[in-house]
Amino acid sequence: MKTLTKIVSVSVIVGSLVCIAPGAAQAQGSAKGKVLLYTSVPLQLATQFADAFMRKRRDVEVELYRAGSTEVIRKLAAERETGGIRADLIWLADAPLYYELRDRGELLPYISPEAKHIPADIKDPKGYFVGARLINLIIGVNKEVIPVKDAPKSWKALPDFGKKVVMGNPLYSGSNFVQVATFVKKDGWGWFVRARAKDVAVVRGNSEAAKALAGKEFGLAVTLDYIVAGLAKKGAPLEIIWPEEGAISVPSPIAISRASKNPEGAKAFVDYVLSKEGQEFLVKQEVIPVRGDVKPPSGQPAASQIKFLPIPYEWAAKNASELRERFEKIMLH
Amino acid sequence: MTKLNNFDRRYYLLIAAGVFVLLIVVYPLWQLFYRSFFSAAGFSLDNYLKVLSTPVYYRSLFNSIWVALATSLLCMIVGTILAFVLVRTDLPGRGRLKNLLIIAYSIPPFFAAIAWIQLLGPQGFLTRPLLQWFDWSSAPWNIYSAGGIVFVMTTHYFVLVFLTVAAALEQMDASLEEAARASGARTGRIMFGITLPLVLPSIFAGGLLAFIGALANFGIPALLGMRARFFVLTTSIYYALSIPDFPLATALSMMLVVVGMLPLLLQWRIQKNEGRYTVISGKSVHPAEIRLGASRKPLFLGVSIFVSLMSLVPMGSMLVSALLKYWGAPLTPANLTLEHFAYILQLDIARRAIGNSLLLALLAATMTMFVGVVISYLFVKAKLPGSRYLDLLGTVPYAVPHTVTAIAMILAWSPPPASLYGTFWIIVLAYLAVYLPFAIRTTNSTLQQIHDSLEEAARVSGARLLRRLKDVILPLASPGMIAGWILVFMPALRELTVSILLYSHRTETIGVVVYNMQDAGYSEVAAAMACVVIGLIIVGNVGLRRLTGGAGF
Repeated sequence: MKTLTKIVSVSVIVGSLVCIAPGAAQAQGSAKGKVLLYTSVPLQLATQFADAFMRKRRDVEVELYRAGSTEVIRKLAAERETGGIRADLIWLADAPLYYELRDRGELLPYISPEAKHIPADIKDPKGYFVGARLINLIIGVNKEVIPVKDAPKSWKALPDFGKKVVMGNPLYSGSNFVQVATFVKKDGWGWFVRARAKDVAVVRGNSEAAKALAGKEFGLAVTLDYIVAGLAKKGAPLEIIWPEEGAISVPSPIAISRASKNPEGAKAFVDYVLSKEGQEFLVKQEVIPVRGDVKPPSGQPAASQIKFLPIPYEWAAKNASELRERFEKIMLH
Repeated sequence: MTKLNNFDRRYYLLIAAGVFVLLIVVYPLWQLFYRSFFSAAGFSLDNYLKVLSTPVYYRSLFNSIWVALATSLLCMIVGTILAFVLVRTDLPGRGRLKNLLIIAYSIPPFFAAIAWIQLLGPQGFLTRPLLQWFDWSSAPWNIYSAGGIVFVMTTHYFVLVFLTVAAALEQMDASLEEAARASGARTGRIMFGITLPLVLPSIFAGGLLAFIGALANFGIPALLGMRARFFVLTTSIYYALSIPDFPLATALSMMLVVVGMLPLLLQWRIQKNEGRYTVISGKSVHPAEIRLGASRKPLFLGVSIFVSLMSLVPMGSMLVSALLKYWGAPLTPANLTLEHFAYILQLDIARRAIGNSLLLALLAATMTMFVGVVISYLFVKAKLPGSRYLDLLGTVPYAVPHTVTAIAMILAWSPPPASLYGTFWIIVLAYLAVYLPFAIRTTNSTLQQIHDSLEEAARVSGARLLRRLKDVILPLASPGMIAGWILVFMPALRELTVSILLYSHRTETIGVVVYNMQDAGYSEVAAAMACVVIGLIIVGNVGLRRLTGGAGF
């Protein structure tokens, strides 16, 4: 009985400490305007970015919910059923989703003063969303597995390398979903049927694909330019191949929810993301900037020099479930 | 008069516990069951027909069953052999080896999968030297396969069989063995003819635990199955939710519930028929230790290597990964860094997650033990009509995979007016459902060992219900209750499956943060967080063992 008393008292003390800690944080935060950001931007980058913003705007507190694009979409769907979307800001790689959100009337239009520096083809004319970082799907190669001269130069040639190739799963990753939509709209499902026949591997997302590439589990990967560039800078033997047909450039838009209780704070965050300072911060993380007046990361091309494949946004948004289901049937079984 | 009064009061307890079980278990599962019959076309069997007519889905049903069966079979073999060796022989260092096994079990299965990828993956720490040594171009095994899933599950769940069989061997009445020995039977004959049949029920009980654990596991097949395009029900449900096809997810979930319920019902039937309260008699004769003789040293070496492989090696691999600059970097001093630990310790989300998980585990353990004691008392001691069904219903979530429990909670408790989705409280509710069976089971077995005469004596002397509970039942049951509390607290601390579907900003748990880190490609950061958490678990375990005199888990 004595030990039970001990345990109970210890638990009560620990419990009350734990209860007080978040409570205290909340009390402190109540003076500030809170902004809740749902994002698929990798956690490390997202927290650093939010911290940089909060140092500048001490009156706004950014809270983060970070998960894969599809998980965020699932969360939005669940919230829609249960009293409405709670996020103030949505910043995902799944660009087609924004067309759906806009058509559902769930976005708040806002034309940031900084938006004039952003190319017209990656922003909504009425300001419902705006491209905030360019993440490019490219072919990553591990030079120790496949010499660069032997590596494929085009998307078309990639599936021929079979088991040496890895890609992310559009059932999880927004940018891979854009890839699937782009390929299918252009040439049908042939590329994927070929890739499946040759045993191209599928992992969860771009980060895992890049990691497996760095770990020499694969020689080639469909993955994102900035992840490969970041790993290469740390010493991994990786290089980027810009495919002949064009890279798939996902503008990763940011948008404000119509249900936002702090639209002013949300707008300030959008302004910061699009500002020269915000884009320069992304450049430090090897991300190609959306502004022409910000220099790209060293060794990386500027957005204007890259050849892009056209992305069928609205078509992809309308056929999202079918595309995911068909991909699952072809590639995952 | 007094009697009637007491009678009434116990019914209040029965009603209160009934309402609790109704809200936490029955209503959410009913919601799930009911919704699984609705598709876009309205009420129909479409969802089930889709599962049964699509190869993808019926194959994942089949895969789930055989993976769980294979895992539980392997666990029964490995767990039983180890239990015999560590309990019944004179092997040196048995206590320490046993502790290591328990540590192995405290590594969350999801972390174990990460560690085994690091060790045996195509570029793993163990794979690379072996490739060079044998001059293979690639390893003859593949961790990303059905076999890999069964392997990693076995390394985790065999401990359950080990623990149940070891307990049975320790408490076994030695007189039968002694009788056989006196009649001249040899050791081998005694073991196979007497001891093994006697502990067979425990082996199957442990095997059942392993079966249900393997069936419900999400983390291991999620990490190892995708590259092999090998899906089980838990991963298929996850993808159905991603498409998103919610009705399909509910139908798949119901199938998983049915597969999990079958062995549980079987066990319930068997327990009902056999003499249920075979109270272990006093250990007057301690079973004789088997002298290993010349085989003592080689066996010790073999068992030590095996046990370290299961416990120390995965943890070491986790630590090395946490220290590497990036995954895949050659193991040289220049590539080692503490930055990932520094990062995790200053990350708000990580610190908050540790606080949240501690609070959740505390709430779950304390509340389920409280309700568990009430239900057990009503069932085992008061034996009120209907309490038997309360006991069964409270145990049902054990057979319900955690993914399914989480979905049922969303269905039941997110529509207004009880819109708990996205709050801390929906996670609490789900944890209560998930861990209630553990609480009921441990308190049941504890209360069964307390003879009815003690409470009777108090009752005859005029003590009322609360007094009897406070002064007789609780003090006698407290050691078992503490063990049960720990049995809930430890797994709740590292829970992943439920939290990943229910968390929101500010309600992240430890499991969620590690999973998200691993998932976003920061496996070094995930490994660092995992090291911190395993450290906490071990320290907590040792602390609690000291405090309770060996009840740690």
